[in-house]
Amino acid sequence: MGKKTRRNEVSDGKLSRRDFMGAAAAVAAFTVVPRSVLGGSGQTPPSEKINIAGVGVGGQGGADLRELSSQNIVALCDVDWRHASACFKRYPNARQYKDFREMLDKEDKNIDGVVVGTPDHLHAPVSIAAMKRGKHVYCEKPLTHTVREARLMAETAREHKVATQMGNQGQAGEEVRLLCETIWDGAIGQVHEVHVWTDRPLNGINKVYWPQGVDRPKGEDPIPDSLNWDLWVGPAPMRPYVNRVYNPFVWRGWWDFGTGALGDIGCHSLDPVFRVLKLGYPTSVEACCTLVNDETYPVASRVTYEFPARGDLAPVTLHWYDGGMKPPRPPELEDGRRWDTNGALYIGEKGKMYGGRLLPESRQKEYGKPPQKLERSPGHYMEWVIACKGGKPAGSNFPDHAGLLAQVVLMGNIAIRPALKDKLLGTKLLWDAKEFKFTNMPEANQYLTKEYREGWSL
Amino acid sequence: MGKQKQVNKPDVWISRRDFMGAAAAAAALTIVPRHVLGGPRNIPPSEKLNIAGVGIGGRGAGDLDEVSGENIVALCDVDDKYAANTFKHYPNAAKYRDFRVMLDKQKNIDAVIVATPDHTHAVVAMAAIEMGKHVYCEKPLAHSIYEVRRLTEAARQAKVATQLGNQGQASEGTRLVCEFIWDGAIGPVREVHSWCNRPISPRGIERPKDTPPVPEGLDWDLWLGPAPQRPYHPSYHPFSWRGWWDFGSGVLGDIGCHQFVGIFRALKLGYPTSVEACSSGVNPETAPLASIVRYDFPARESMPALKLTWYDGGLMPARPQELEDGLRFGDADDNLFVGDKGKILGHRLLPEARSTEYGKPPKVLPRSPGHHKEWIAACKGGEPAGSNFDVAGPLTEVVLLGNVALRMGQQLYEKGLKLYYDGPGMKVTNLPEANKYIRSEYREGWTL
Repeated sequence: MGKKTRRNEVSDGKLSRRDFMGAAAAVAAFTVVPRSVLGGSGQTPPSEKINIAGVGVGGQGGADLRELSSQNIVALCDVDWRHASACFKRYPNARQYKDFREMLDKEDKNIDGVVVGTPDHLHAPVSIAAMKRGKHVYCEKPLTHTVREARLMAETAREHKVATQMGNQGQAGEEVRLLCETIWDGAIGQVHEVHVWTDRPLNGINKVYWPQGVDRPKGEDPIPDSLNWDLWVGPAPMRPYVNRVYNPFVWRGWWDFGTGALGDIGCHSLDPVFRVLKLGYPTSVEACCTLVNDETYPVASRVTYEFPARGDLAPVTLHWYDGGMKPPRPPELEDGRRWDTNGALYIGEKGKMYGGRLLPESRQKEYGKPPQKLERSPGHYMEWVIACKGGKPAGSNFPDHAGLLAQVVLMGNIAIRPALKDKLLGTKLLWDAKEFKFTNMPEANQYLTKEYREGWSL
Repeated sequence: MGKQKQVNKPDVWISRRDFMGAAAAAAALTIVPRHVLGGPRNIPPSEKLNIAGVGIGGRGAGDLDEVSGENIVALCDVDDKYAANTFKHYPNAAKYRDFRVMLDKQKNIDAVIVATPDHTHAVVAMAAIEMGKHVYCEKPLAHSIYEVRRLTEAARQAKVATQLGNQGQASEGTRLVCEFIWDGAIGPVREVHSWCNRPISPRGIERPKDTPPVPEGLDWDLWLGPAPQRPYHPSYHPFSWRGWWDFGSGVLGDIGCHQFVGIFRALKLGYPTSVEACSSGVNPETAPLASIVRYDFPARESMPALKLTWYDGGLMPARPQELEDGLRFGDADDNLFVGDKGKILGHRLLPEARSTEYGKPPKVLPRSPGHHKEWIAACKGGEPAGSNFDVAGPLTEVVLLGNVALRMGQQLYEKGLKLYYDGPGMKVTNLPEANKYIRSEYREGWTL
């Protein structure tokens, strides 16, 4: 990852996928391209269905499987069978497991691909175990829990030549393509500044999806019969179970399990920035936030990345905001148009884009549509299925795209680590991509990875 | 202030104090001529002022310390226990619970220091001004824009000496910023960022449901003053009132009057044309945990239009490129001035090399004898203090306008608007509902 070919792979990949997709000629091509072209795994021919196993199926993982129900769902794994029961019912023929390791052992012969929809801290252990067995992997965003894991996911996928896709569905959409085509068309000139924001963990004006900025509760509750807490905690340090504090879903706010608002949404909403501006690693990261402790992410934060020039492309400053913080409303945005709770603003030398449209709206009307240069997607999930069957790599595959994106997203969380706060008032974190480390604060590098509980190394 | 002197509870304690002791005060009454309707008396610099303090348990005690070279003749607080140390410190001062009783009974007061919670600044200060007393009032000047405007006008009319408690205005740093910018050290300034990492008191919370008994010695009704009735709770008093919209003004109100004063002076700011705000969540009860408020000011004289951004709760602008590695970008609080030709952090030119090369700007502003001394001198016929209400009033109005934008955040968002403001007319022009936050309703029995 991070090689100079990456950029071409993204755009060229889409172009060649157009050749491959949709037309009769392309269908014919399937029959003549040997599926071994992509290597050792992914041997399912296009005419056949792939056999999919789901790990972590009670939440978004279950939704992912629905999108893939044209394929064979052969096995389901969840550490909480009550939480997973609705999904289990939908696929009565799928065999049920609690421990993904046991599932991979027993179903090794039956599974082509694994859909990983666990909490963040289990993404890498499950995905890497699957990839090492040659299984294709669809993994929810953020790709992993640590920067190091994200790099390892990309490396493992490349090494085992498996088809991968991260769960940032927006990458397959029309919007990101129009955005790329408009900006590549020079509609706003060179882009030097981008602002991206989400209101999460806020949910509306005065509620939250999940708590951040809180401390660990005292005491513990009996572990529900349906839940294997030890497996849920997985590689994280063991802690007492408490009802509704960690699972389901609200694990997102805890350092040990989730990646906060940035991890949750960054892989969605920073994805277009990476595509349109052909970003690699940043040179620096810097952040500020509300009070933060070692237990949960802060209520709100701002993270700023500096990216160097890339070929002819100007250096870019990327500002991320969460928890309700936003950049200033641009003067070009007409009164009466919402400055949304989630959004992106691209500032170029010759104009601005917001919500995928040129500002002001009169400018968009005048401009119309850019020349169509990018292949359209058959759909985010189908991209992965096609890749599993020997087709083009999916748009958010790990080695070419998602691995890097997730690494950069997760770097932002290092810049808000409470233990580094005092030192970070004196400097930005400077990143050396070649050495894979921060160069000016050795103690920051420990947060690129983490300690794994005994029995859980990657 | 309420013209009516009706108090809900008989003020037995106060009367006893009057009766008991203040022999000196009683004596003073006989010899000091009063000009109740004719403005303040003339006090030569050689004479001492008679000062009363209202709200003396917290910051008020600090203010009294600063003026203790004068006569502290009366102290007033709604909470005996909270005020006990200050009472002890000034054994000769008459002690009151109700400022209305104090102003009515004790005729020798020349000047009043107001350090109550924000929601009672206006009623106390206005009562004093109307009686021709000089006033030192803690920041923010008042709780609503309307109150601030009324106080500013009243003080001007009564010709009393005033000072807001934003003591930074008297500092060397504030003067240096002005002199740097006026000297053109960073060129025309189009952007200023100002931040503070507070809050200290709880924010973003709901009203408590339990109703513990009112502690002995606290007159809860008086503490509430003009604010809507609600049961006593330790979440409000002492100090934690700052987060509650009915009593305080959030971090912006608490700190904005400090931090904006140098910006206003250096950049000659008046009223903004528009404001927008975002936050970690506003509820009808408390200020948010963190917020960003953005003001747009029009061009002034030779100065270009300016964007002023306020951050609190730990948020701050991105670290400027010019700030050398190793130099701290303070998270506690600071101001960053962005000019066409350079930047000033606090009152230091960036980067250090530029600062060294530039040296000090020409000294064009007189230095202050000290913030409280300025006021004392003004009370004795000297120059108006640096943060007299003609200066501090508009400043506080702008600060409080940020809270209007914060509280209207959801409506502004839904309608896709910034808040457009008519400063002189004191109204929001594009969202009339916002004006309810410019002037709040007073509880029955309280008027301004």
